[in-house]
Amino acid sequence: MGSAHAFPFLTTLVLVPAGTALVLLLLPRQLTRLVRAVALAGSIGTLGIAVATLDQFRSGFAGYQMTSVHPFVAALGISWSLGIDGISLFLVLMTAVLFPLALLGAGEQTNTKAFVVWVSLLEAGCMGSFLSLDVLLFFLFFEATLVPVYFLIGGWGHERRGYAATKFFVYTFVASAVMLVGIVALVFLHQSQTGTLTFSVQALARTHLTGAESVALFLAFTAAFAVKAPVFPFHTWSPDAYAEAPAGGSILLAGIMAKLGTYGIIRFDLGLFPHGVVVLAPLLLTLGVAGIIYGGVVAAVQRDLKRLVAYSSLAHMGFIVLGAFALTGEALSGAVLQMVNHGLYTAALFLLVAMIYRRRGTFEIRRLGGLQRKAPVMAAAFMLVMLASIGVPGLNGFVGEFLILAGTFIGHRWWAVAAMVGVVLAAVYLLWAYQQVFHGRREGDERPEQPERPFKELTVREGLVLAPLLALIVFLGVYPKPVLNRITPTVDALIAHVAAGSHTDTAPLGRPVLSSAVVRTPGSAIGLATDVQGGARVAVTPAVLDTHASAPTPVSPAPAGKGIR
Amino acid sequence: MGSLDSYLPILFLFVLAFGFTAFSLAASKLLAPQRPTAAKEAPYECGIVPSHEPPQRFPVRFYLVSMIFVIFDIEVIFLFPWAVVYGQLGRFGLVEIIVFAAAVFFSFVYLVSNGALDWGPLKRVQRVVRPIGGRTSQSTVRRIGSSSDEAA
Amino acid sequence: MSPLAALLSPAHLLAANGLVLPHVNYTAIMPELILLGGMLLLLGISAVSPRHLPTQVYATATAGIGIASLIASLVLWHDVQKGGPFSAVARAVDIDGFATLVLVLCSCVVILGAFFAAGFLEREQVQGVEYYALALISASGAMLMGSANDLILVFLGLEILSIPLYVMAGLDQRRAASGEAAMKYFLLGAFSSAVFVYGIALTYGATGSTNLASIGSFLAQNVVVSNGVLLGGLALLLVGFGFKVAAVPFHMWTPDVYAGSPTPAVGFMAAVAKIGAFGALLRVLFSTFPTLRTSWQPILWALAILTLLLGALVAVVQRDVKRMLAYSSINHAGFILLGVQAGTSRGAEASLYYLFVYSVLVLGTFGVVAVVGGRGDEGHGIERYRGLAHRRPLLAGSMAVLLLAQAGAPFTTGFFSKLYVIEASIAAHSYALATVAMLSAAIATFFYLRLVFAMFGERAGRQASVAVPVAPAGAGAPGGAAGQFPPVGTLPAGPAVASAAGVLTLERAAGLVDPGRAEAAAVADDDAGPVVADADLQVSPWVWVGLALCVGTTVVLGIWPSPLVDFARHATLLF
Repeated sequence: MGSAHAFPFLTTLVLVPAGTALVLLLLPRQLTRLVRAVALAGSIGTLGIAVATLDQFRSGFAGYQMTSVHPFVAALGISWSLGIDGISLFLVLMTAVLFPLALLGAGEQTNTKAFVVWVSLLEAGCMGSFLSLDVLLFFLFFEATLVPVYFLIGGWGHERRGYAATKFFVYTFVASAVMLVGIVALVFLHQSQTGTLTFSVQALARTHLTGAESVALFLAFTAAFAVKAPVFPFHTWSPDAYAEAPAGGSILLAGIMAKLGTYGIIRFDLGLFPHGVVVLAPLLLTLGVAGIIYGGVVAAVQRDLKRLVAYSSLAHMGFIVLGAFALTGEALSGAVLQMVNHGLYTAALFLLVAMIYRRRGTFEIRRLGGLQRKAPVMAAAFMLVMLASIGVPGLNGFVGEFLILAGTFIGHRWWAVAAMVGVVLAAVYLLWAYQQVFHGRREGDERPEQPERPFKELTVREGLVLAPLLALIVFLGVYPKPVLNRITPTVDALIAHVAAGSHTDTAPLGRPVLSSAVVRTPGSAIGLATDVQGGARVAVTPAVLDTHASAPTPVSPAPAGKGIR
Repeated sequence: MGSLDSYLPILFLFVLAFGFTAFSLAASKLLAPQRPTAAKEAPYECGIVPSHEPPQRFPVRFYLVSMIFVIFDIEVIFLFPWAVVYGQLGRFGLVEIIVFAAAVFFSFVYLVSNGALDWGPLKRVQRVVRPIGGRTSQSTVRRIGSSSDEAA
Repeated sequence: MSPLAALLSPAHLLAANGLVLPHVNYTAIMPELILLGGMLLLLGISAVSPRHLPTQVYATATAGIGIASLIASLVLWHDVQKGGPFSAVARAVDIDGFATLVLVLCSCVVILGAFFAAGFLEREQVQGVEYYALALISASGAMLMGSANDLILVFLGLEILSIPLYVMAGLDQRRAASGEAAMKYFLLGAFSSAVFVYGIALTYGATGSTNLASIGSFLAQNVVVSNGVLLGGLALLLVGFGFKVAAVPFHMWTPDVYAGSPTPAVGFMAAVAKIGAFGALLRVLFSTFPTLRTSWQPILWALAILTLLLGALVAVVQRDVKRMLAYSSINHAGFILLGVQAGTSRGAEASLYYLFVYSVLVLGTFGVVAVVGGRGDEGHGIERYRGLAHRRPLLAGSMAVLLLAQAGAPFTTGFFSKLYVIEASIAAHSYALATVAMLSAAIATFFYLRLVFAMFGERAGRQASVAVPVAPAGAGAPGGAAGQFPPVGTLPAGPAVASAAGVLTLERAAGLVDPGRAEAAAVADDDAGPVVADADLQVSPWVWVGLALCVGTTVVLGIWPSPLVDFARHATLLF
């Protein structure tokens, strides 16, 4: 393969934040402002490269682009192999957008240098995870994100930070341990068939797996991703970690780190184990729905604003899992889009919560209240983000959720119906929280010894941090077409790959795989989605999508669409 | 692992051994009457009641002398057979015995320099309390305390 | 093959009157000769010098000797890579890629060990050459085990390795725990040596040779109908090795010995004993008993599982950092056993690579523990580490890197070492074992992180309340712990080892225990105040150099692991 482009965009996307961390390490820690400025410059530089990558990205092409492959540990078959496609493109962009905002909005005053070093390292790790086309390189980055987050929670978190940080690390490490065994097992199966030792995703996707192998390896990989995402019964670390993390930490945790899990599911589970996916999809769909409902119910009874957002995040991750395992083009596109959407509005929510905390020193909903009169702009911003999170049409949350539900409905009707409950729940708890915090009366207001405390309106700086997120939330809600145009070709090719894989592998498990499990109806739901927004801008026709879908793709060795329609 | 089956007897033996031990201990605990008295608890049930622990230390230089003895003992043990076949060994034998003798000699020199042949206490006491760095209040305090101990 | 053929040709065997003399290829044993010769030279210098030389002089000399033997080992490595492996000294010593890698590794351990020891001995004001001399002898024993091609020589190496380690364990005479550690290590070590010799005898009885290659070819050419004696011999050999590498259930000595011994000696001991024992174990199993693979693989499988799980699980409940690291080293031994159990050349590579990584990590970790332990080497409770990052950021940072690497964090050598053994294990279809290993690694992260969190998570200012136990019950008299052993300190005079230690460190022996105790207690009392605790954490420049080497290796080779992986790979290509 080699480098297709003269400038190694993707490698620099990883190396710039890592280099920033190195430079920061060498700076004296007393120069707080300089340290902050350098960190910010590094992350904004990364954002610039990410935008340039978007510019270079060829729309309508399904396969990996801008790949750069270099030997890394030749003796062990590990290569420095980076590439980008429709699935990872916007996750990379979202990562690049959120990191500068997290740095700006975090405001961790103690030990600034260490904080920004960890944040920069985390950005390098996240970028590396989203871009790696080598399974082991992915695993390296995937694991490497743990260490900075551990230190971020442990060093700057709230009261129970030690417990939360350790729980987070050990949970995810246990699951990843199983995944590592799975990775190595897959690689050796591949080696025994082809004679080459490689961790390349493209090569491993061509491994012939028996049904049992496919299912076992699927479970090993999914263990890690399900904990990271988190998927319902493996989520217990996440509310603690989200709630105890410092502001910057929870933005990155919920906004980006969680996406590593669902990204892994889509990239590796669907790409490598089509048979396992098809066999176990009902289970994962059920878990997704369980997560949606459980997250919604638990969020509804929270008294702590930050925990409420944490549980709502769990519910929304359930939607993404649902979309990933519905195995239709719309649902998967919706899942990819929803990852980006969720990253944006969850980050905005955590930022707002942190701003309230900075003013009042509490997350307890009862002790807040009536803030709308004192800070109308903040209330408006909160309202907008909250509506996006609920999934109100015209805002980004709607597009993703709608695509997921519509796509799921095609193949797995009852799961979609059950998931609808989650949408209603989201409206219930978020509206309740908004009402309590911004309009309700603060408990204890009656007591004379607690005089009315002033509550500052959004500062300019805070406004500047929030503005890009709000703009993106509205933009993606009104005009998602350019994003979907780039996502759908890859997604359709992946769905075709899953369909082909589940057919070609004769399943010794004894259960014939229904071809109807994988339904590919490109375009229709997307047209619907944009219609609903009253867009005369609907330009995505099935014909256009078909040409996308049949574009050659290294993901799927079989010709896309063969024997499916 | 199928081949583990052949180790089943060993596992069985382990279980048996542990089971027997546990049973014996439990049985003696449960069945035997427990009426401890001071006399029963004593190390010796008869004779004079011990008033202090038996002496535990004797001067370490006795060990040193015995070590010197062992070193030369071993040298002799090696030298005898070497001397018997010296003619056949030739230059090889000479080189090897020189290496051996050098090792023994250095060890002996080391022992002597450490006072293995000095029977007076003065030299050692001085050496042990001399700190490397300058004096601190701490080291001075220690010296007073320790030297009184040694004088005793 | 040419040196081998030349060696075996009658021209080089001086035969006179039936006496066959070996041709000694001195270059083949040059690293050992350099270490032993250097040791004798150091002893001689210390004996004739009219006054005590500062410990730094000895440390410099030891590091120099280590570097010389490193160069000699690399020359051998070069020879082997160019001319292929050869046997020397009447086929009793094998010089191949594997052996030379062990030689290189031992040399590195000597160099690093010298740095950490210098800082420690300087602080404790321990004079004399003994520590360095013992370390040099011990390392030469490990070298001999790695290159031995004869069971007798393996045993010799084992003893040369072990006896100095027993003395090193008891070197700190102010603490009773140190003597206890030496006593336990000596008794159990002597017992395991006896078992090992019995194993050699049975093997010899069954095959008629003690030469590893001869036994191997005998077993390949003959079908042993009733192989009870042979299997018994193999099993006893495994017990002997299992003791040295601290594999469960032969690990009982490890926590007490690690907790009691002087801290830098623990790091050295952990590294060098594992290198020697695993080197010999790999060679014995792979080149001598490959035909019995179906017999030893299940045994190692069970050993590895027990070692991995017990090491990780018991470490979780430890409050004493040295004991915790002792159990963590048991866990690491389990990982190395994974490569051995695989029984493939990939497995051997993986084990060697793991050994290399582990040695560096364990030396560095105990180097930091020695510093934090404070004067008197007593403060090893986890409380000592609270807020260390605020007082000594660089020290805490180094420790965090080393601990995370031990946990297997990515972009450290620790990750690749775990990956390597897991790869080897899965290539040999031991899926269950690989899974258990990784799960144990995940459990292990828990206690590494606890220490890291103590250093980084606690806010500054808490250290003022640090209470240093003057005579920690956990470390000093762990008799009740796990029901392992009666507290030796209370037994009537541990003569043998105490005397062996006493012989070599006479001036301190004469000081007796009590004054030293009094001093330790005084220091510990002062520790209660934060000022002294800080002053107590003086890090000598020697330790900084050692730490820089360890951390640098861990991170640089973690980000760019190819050189070391290729090194390990070439080491066993010629196996």
